[in-house]
Amino acid sequence: MFLQNLVQKAQQFIDPAVLPGPLGNSSNGRPSKAQLFRHQFRLPDSQSPLYEITAELTLPTKKSGNDAKSPSKNWDKSNWDRDRGTHHVGQLHLSEQFLCFSTVQTSFVSTASASASAGFTGRTHGTGPAGNGFTLPLCAVRRVERLHTQSYVFALSITTWNGYDAGTETKPGAPAPPKLTIQLEGSRQQCERFCDGLKRGLRQGIKEVENMRTVAQDCYSEYFLYDEFDAVPATEKADGTARAPPDTGLGTVFKYPGNSRKLRDRSKMRLWHEYLKEHGRNTTLVRQPDFHRLIRVGLPNLLRGEIWELTSGSFYLRLQKPKLYQDTLDKFQGQGSLAIDEIEKDLNRSLPEYAGFQSEEGIGRLRRVLTAYSWTNEEVGYCQAMNIVVAALLIYLSESQAFYVLSILCDRLLPGYYSTTMYGTLLDQRVFESLVEKTMPIIWDHLVKNDVQLSVVSLPWFLSLYINSMPLIFAFRVLDVFFLEGPKVLFQIGLAILRINGEELLDATDDGTFISVLKSYFARLGESAHPKSENPKHRAITNFQALMVVAFKEFDGITQHTISEQRSKHKSAVLESIESFAKRTSIRNLGPESKKLSTNDLGFLYDRFYVVLYERQQRMEMIQAEIDRKAKLAKQRASEIVTGLPTNTPEMGRLALGASQTQMDYDAFREFLAGVAKWAVTDSPSSPMKDFSGGNYFTNTLRNRPINTSPWGNGPEPAEHEFLQRLFKKWDIDGNGALSLQNVVYGLAPIKGNRDIMSSISYFFELYDDDGDGKVDREGVLRISEALLFLSRRGLTGSVSHGPEDIDKVLPSKDEQFLGAVSSFIRRCFEYAEPDKTEVDNAADGVDLLDLGEKDETGHAETDDQSEHPKSPSPSSAGESSILARPSTNTFGQTKSRVVSANAALDPASPVHITLPTFRMLVLADETLESFFDSGFANSFHLADAPLPSNIVTSPAYLGLSHAPPTSGSGLSIPGPIGPTPVGIASGGVVGPGKGLRGVLDNIVTDGMRVAAEVRRRMDEAQRELDRGASTRGTEDDEDDDGEEQAVDLLEGAEANAGATPAKTPAKPSMLLDTPVVGGPRIESNGKARAGSDVEKSTMFER
Amino acid sequence: MADSSAPKPSSSVKLVLLGEAAVGKSSLVLRFVNDDFQPNKEPTIGAAFLTQKCQLPTRTIKFEIWDTAGQERFASLAPMYYRNAQAALVVYDITKESSLVKAKHWVAELQRQASPGIVIALVGNKLDLCEDDEEAAEEESSGASATAAADDEEGEESEAAAESTENNDEGNNSTARKVSLKEAKSYADEENLLFFETSAKSGHNVGEVFTAIANAIPETSLKGRNAGAAAGAGTQAALTGANENSRVNLNAASGDGGPKEGCAC
Ligand SMILES: Nc1nc2c(ncn2[C@@H]2O[C@H](COP(=O)(O)OP(=O)(O)OP(=O)(O)O)[C@@H](O)[C@H]2O)c(=O)[nH]1
Ligand SMILES: [Mg+2]
Repeated sequence: MFLQNLVQKAQQFIDPAVLPGPLGNSSNGRPSKAQLFRHQFRLPDSQSPLYEITAELTLPTKKSGNDAKSPSKNWDKSNWDRDRGTHHVGQLHLSEQFLCFSTVQTSFVSTASASASAGFTGRTHGTGPAGNGFTLPLCAVRRVERLHTQSYVFALSITTWNGYDAGTETKPGAPAPPKLTIQLEGSRQQCERFCDGLKRGLRQGIKEVENMRTVAQDCYSEYFLYDEFDAVPATEKADGTARAPPDTGLGTVFKYPGNSRKLRDRSKMRLWHEYLKEHGRNTTLVRQPDFHRLIRVGLPNLLRGEIWELTSGSFYLRLQKPKLYQDTLDKFQGQGSLAIDEIEKDLNRSLPEYAGFQSEEGIGRLRRVLTAYSWTNEEVGYCQAMNIVVAALLIYLSESQAFYVLSILCDRLLPGYYSTTMYGTLLDQRVFESLVEKTMPIIWDHLVKNDVQLSVVSLPWFLSLYINSMPLIFAFRVLDVFFLEGPKVLFQIGLAILRINGEELLDATDDGTFISVLKSYFARLGESAHPKSENPKHRAITNFQALMVVAFKEFDGITQHTISEQRSKHKSAVLESIESFAKRTSIRNLGPESKKLSTNDLGFLYDRFYVVLYERQQRMEMIQAEIDRKAKLAKQRASEIVTGLPTNTPEMGRLALGASQTQMDYDAFREFLAGVAKWAVTDSPSSPMKDFSGGNYFTNTLRNRPINTSPWGNGPEPAEHEFLQRLFKKWDIDGNGALSLQNVVYGLAPIKGNRDIMSSISYFFELYDDDGDGKVDREGVLRISEALLFLSRRGLTGSVSHGPEDIDKVLPSKDEQFLGAVSSFIRRCFEYAEPDKTEVDNAADGVDLLDLGEKDETGHAETDDQSEHPKSPSPSSAGESSILARPSTNTFGQTKSRVVSANAALDPASPVHITLPTFRMLVLADETLESFFDSGFANSFHLADAPLPSNIVTSPAYLGLSHAPPTSGSGLSIPGPIGPTPVGIASGGVVGPGKGLRGVLDNIVTDGMRVAAEVRRRMDEAQRELDRGASTRGTEDDEDDDGEEQAVDLLEGAEANAGATPAKTPAKPSMLLDTPVVGGPRIESNGKARAGSDVEKSTMFER
Repeated sequence: MADSSAPKPSSSVKLVLLGEAAVGKSSLVLRFVNDDFQPNKEPTIGAAFLTQKCQLPTRTIKFEIWDTAGQERFASLAPMYYRNAQAALVVYDITKESSLVKAKHWVAELQRQASPGIVIALVGNKLDLCEDDEEAAEEESSGASATAAADDEEGEESEAAAESTENNDEGNNSTARKVSLKEAKSYADEENLLFFETSAKSGHNVGEVFTAIANAIPETSLKGRNAGAAAGAGTQAALTGANENSRVNLNAASGDGGPKEGCAC
């Protein structure tokens, strides 16, 4: 009775229009149309809705016998259905590999309204998410005929694959799946288009026929039907080999839970036998109202696995990648992982009460399935509760089947439940709470008043799908419905549990009582719900049956749509709380060195670190999506394009969703620094490049790593400088080319934390002491100087007691002062340098210095320079201020040719070095440098206490740099001793890395400009591409539009019909629950009916 | 129950168990509440809730025990459970070095985030696994202290330290014990924690842990919510009490033996 009501009610409510709100929009985390499509028909992610059309499906009725299968010659629309068979009006959809039909009027084309796409997520009631219909892999189609009928009618007859011999009059073969007759309703053009698409798909499908055969062999239905119907003895296959039943889980060996007599397993099998015989099996199954009813009353043991596979869609995944399971196991054979360690811990702790999991066999299967999945989804890996769920699955499914079901569970049905942050679990708990609040305000208020945490009881329900809360037999019945109707079932059951126990719960004032009330309820699920009733039928109703009724009747308003809506409402709060927790924990666990930084600073670094990773990932995704989009556009019309990026994309990398990245590569590091230090911002942000000659210095470095052309988001564009590379290398203590948060913290801690000039000097020195021998050679000295200028080029606020805010106001004289200091530093370095005793080989020296040189081009640039700016004044005159005035001209290269000094240190033939003590002395000798190392350097990193303004000035505060007129070159006076870089001499015409301080600065500018130009160019290109794409799409849309309009018209027409359908079914006895009325097997509808033998028709496809 | 006639003041204490997966949290609770041990206990999903009374000479403490899941990713659920907790049992497995590192993380988390004044006990479980080499361990102190010392130098929270010692351990796995008594004890002293080594399997020291916690709960913190609940909720409280008792007593009655001297329940 209950079920009957349910079904009736269900059919009244198939009304997509009741669903408000846009669902097709993925920017708010909601599914795209393609996703909705896949969810409705449980298709793999590779499928997208290509074509759809309103259609009428006609199936032969049971009673109609053989003649019903032969459409008569003068078939026409008006007399067809009435006479022969059940008909369903609905939408026919075509994807790359599937033909799907559903009586639920959903539409996934680009122009469909959101509610039309989300229709199936509405009230599903007894009919399940997909309504009546089918999900037919194209490889399972054997033959498609176009029925030639009267003028405007366009009808197809589809013969599907049958694994059996057809049999003969005397030796009946196994039943053939029903022949599907589908009448397309649309304009001639629409119909043709659909059929063309279908033909293409069918041809492709031929390749997968073999796959399908093997995959279907694992289905019990193949064995089940063959067993009874085929003429060949059941124990033998056609080729004479023994026919063994497929693996239907541990249950065959260790017994299925529950008493099969009490579960009426035999009667259920008989009903299913009839259903499968009539409506097809595995690939060819057609969903009719009975299908849903049979599932609601609980699946029989041997078929449970197969139906789970079909309703969850894991079957189609297996069909696509039948070898994935075994291949994964083979590929990772013998490898270890964190997940595997965690799995091992729990193997003996999974359904220990079931005998199969006390055995090596059961444990072995569990281990393999969990391990294989952990490899295919390393982000999830293994989460406790998965062991329990998989153990339960393995009772009914083979290892490989369980593997695919697990994939569907984790990836689709329970998104984020088992992820590393478990955000899905937390989110659904929040959703559940809000549903309780809405539907049972009294209970909710009571919980709040007594400070009872609902999620303490409900979280395990969801996380382990009730498997460790309810006795197994009941948990499996919940699963039966869950796979068919989706995640909303978990909510409905949960709410029903609370509703049923409402009174007792209102008496509970603490968590303990609350929990024990529910525990005892679960223990009584098998008992009568009305033990005292006079009516034996009432008495026979168990608590569990009552629970199902309350869940699906009283809470039928809880739909997938309700859930999605609630999820998006609570999502941000949940994610934020996870993130703040993660931040706290992560900061606390950074290790002792991190204590040198304040908690504020650590928090700041944490944020900055992950923001950079997150934003970069976003950008990558967008670029990737753009590329994919183009590729797709080129290939086909895909509705996904219209609806935008696949759902999760906008949030990929968000920490609470299980950030996939926790390491920063060099570019990310640059971006990171650009947000904390002014000097790390490039001097020439995205402005077009006019002059390429200056970029030489960098072309080399650029070439050495993959050129990253992605824009830098909204943040400032980072600079590129050798100093950054050195810093990165120093911080990368593990030497894996990437920095973790801890690396960054440990890298910064000595700079920001020590605040002691001596350690800061040695930190810097070590940056340049490549081989760690306590010496820095001539080359290194030059590089140190370059770095000092690089760091100071925007002014150093730290050295003076200015606040950090007045970046712009830094007095130029300070910078001049700094330049002067650096100049004299270099001079003194060479004065005090010690000859390098160990190394006397000139050649080696030369080679040493070549590493960054860019020979030819640099040579040219240098000659140009020389011709323009012939000579520098005498080396001894340290005219600091004039350096500033001559930005783009001064290079070491130009001075190198002069023989300058008698200082042996400058003699290229005699390598020299300075040691740390020398370096220290030189620094301390200069007030400006001293101040730099004392605080300036540390202060140039702006953390929490003095953050950089977000829109940092990107043009250098140090104005002289790029704008000063070249004419002021007269005052140019780089200190002489720097000049004669040995490189130039040693390798004639080659300008080494010591090309010059100013050269470097200039190059930074030009190089940055060049990169910027490149970025601009690519962006323009992308934009053009986008425009082009949009216009192409535009035309396609137009084309669709008229088709669509008609479809909508038809759809509206069809709705009236849909309303009429229930009239046909309500009489169906729904009391399977109480009295399994089972008719004997019927012997019609076997493969012999040669439909359309006398109908004029043309075969569209046959194999 | 022994003194159920005596009108001793009774108050409830919220206690939370934290620690790495499979260190034996649920087993400790099971031992304390039911005096039972199950070798293949299912992992805790989310958290489990149980209660048990503990009789002290002057008062009765009813523990409301929140047993949490240990796997790392469940950590974000923990605040939900340690909220308002007055006591915490941070458990590690003395045969597993990494579990102590995790325990230290939890201690730090509690010290910063939980209610101020929370009583924390550090518990090294699975002592039974080390019984054989226990004598050895006693004299071994020379060998063990080397490891411990090394650890101390590298800092308490350094994961690197943990890993390196773990590697060391692989060499000499002749002894099951991987965390020396000394090391854990000195850490506990430093952080002002109660400290025990227990075995949920044998029951060794399990009762003592809970008694010690009960004794350590300051009298003052026993008021507030619990007193209110006991006094204010009238019939409901009574009903609740009855339920609890019947459930607990049923189980406890069977094997109330040696291990729980201090805790007369
Ligand atoms: N030998 C021995 N084994 C123990 C002891 N305590 C627990 N175990 C075993 O360790 C495993 C894990 O115990 P649990 O109590 O489930 O551990 P848990 O800390 O609750 O684990 P999670 O719930 O996953 O966090 C089980 O197989 C127990 O039998 C002990 O004192 N001695
Ligand atoms: Mg546990």
